[in-house]
Amino acid sequence: MRARAVVLGLLSSTAVLAVGWQLGAQGQQTQTAVAGTDASAASPSTVSGEAAAASPTATPTPAATSTPAATPTPTPTAASAAPAAPAASGVSGTFTGTAARTRYGDVQVEITVQNGSITDVTALQLTDQDSRSVSISNRAAPVLRQEVLSAQSANVKNVSGATYTTDGYLTSLQSALDQAGL
Amino acid sequence: MTAHVFDTMGTTVSIRVAGSPPAESVLRAAEETFARFDRRFSLYRADSELSRIARGELALPRSSSILRDTYAAALEWSNRTGGAFTPHRPDGVLDLSGIVKADAIEAAGRILDLAGVPAWVLNAGGDILVRGTIDDSSSRIGIVDPDDRESLLCTVQLAGTRRALATSGSAERGEHIWRAPAPRSADHGFRQVSVVADDIVTADVLATAILAGGPDRLNDVLDGFDVDALTVDDRGGITASPGFRAAAGLLLA
Repeated sequence: MRARAVVLGLLSSTAVLAVGWQLGAQGQQTQTAVAGTDASAASPSTVSGEAAAASPTATPTPAATSTPAATPTPTPTAASAAPAAPAASGVSGTFTGTAARTRYGDVQVEITVQNGSITDVTALQLTDQDSRSVSISNRAAPVLRQEVLSAQSANVKNVSGATYTTDGYLTSLQSALDQAGL
Repeated sequence: MTAHVFDTMGTTVSIRVAGSPPAESVLRAAEETFARFDRRFSLYRADSELSRIARGELALPRSSSILRDTYAAALEWSNRTGGAFTPHRPDGVLDLSGIVKADAIEAAGRILDLAGVPAWVLNAGGDILVRGTIDDSSSRIGIVDPDDRESLLCTVQLAGTRRALATSGSAERGEHIWRAPAPRSADHGFRQVSVVADDIVTADVLATAILAGGPDRLNDVLDGFDVDALTVDDRGGITASPGFRAAAGLLLA
């Protein structure tokens, strides 16, 4: 009884496979169904390198993300860092972003676009370890309070602080400097 | 040299130029530039285009292209600062004041340039853009001590490509910066942030982003952008980036 069940089981699964193969031979659409039926090992085709995975760092990725959702203009406002962004469908070509300073040095990104979607992202210029240490040393460090207070006698004509209101201006250092005709 | 002073955008603007004052028409055009931005973008004016959007009377797709471009630029800055700078108020209202004053300074500066003014200093509520050098003391900017508005923390020299300095703080216009939620208890929030950059929009936006984002954001900004910064935290502690220290002649603690 058990042996018979096993045989039947084998037969039926073979039948499924056979049907699958036949369907697969018939058309591409059903080929995905076959992959689902017989084993997950079947198709590695979904792994085709997509853009996001290839991006070396998060910061300098150009364009594409910058299209503002609520704004109806299809022109994606290429602001400073963004190259002509390929948001509209049908755009093809290679676009190079401006070099961006990152903690890993200067990075310039080139994207390849086909029919409006990014097909490849390449980091064109990566600076070496030395630049990296320079970049990190740009971090802020504590400053002596006594040191800053020695600035009192400084000769200046403009001061910068939290934005004053029109009323606040009247009692501000800037107002005094302006009235002094300096 | 005299200062031309006028009120606009809820604050006061001072313009200094080298030599004799520019023609009255040039100064009026500069004033009108600020006024134009204010009429379109002020949320304090019920009749501004942005107020009409805030009330739902005007749909964004029907707004002017300059408003949409400004919004897009603000969103771009939001992306570049990890959301620390945002054009949206917590209640969802579109508020472009974080970028509009700097845009107006930039535009007014172009008018002075077009008029052939060789050297000038534009100071709008403490956000400062310079062109050329009037004299040494004109391009030397004092940073106000947030604990004592009468005194300076230090002075910083704007020179070469470093044309812009902006300071953000909560001291004088109330809490108009929306801080990142729940800063770590070990971090002290910033009371005042000054940023030196090549252009005033970058300086102003990043000063806002650092003030809102706190110490973590400070390092991200210094790593990712070509700017210098001076910060004052809520306990009076001061930090400066190397470039700022050099420009201000400060010593390390």
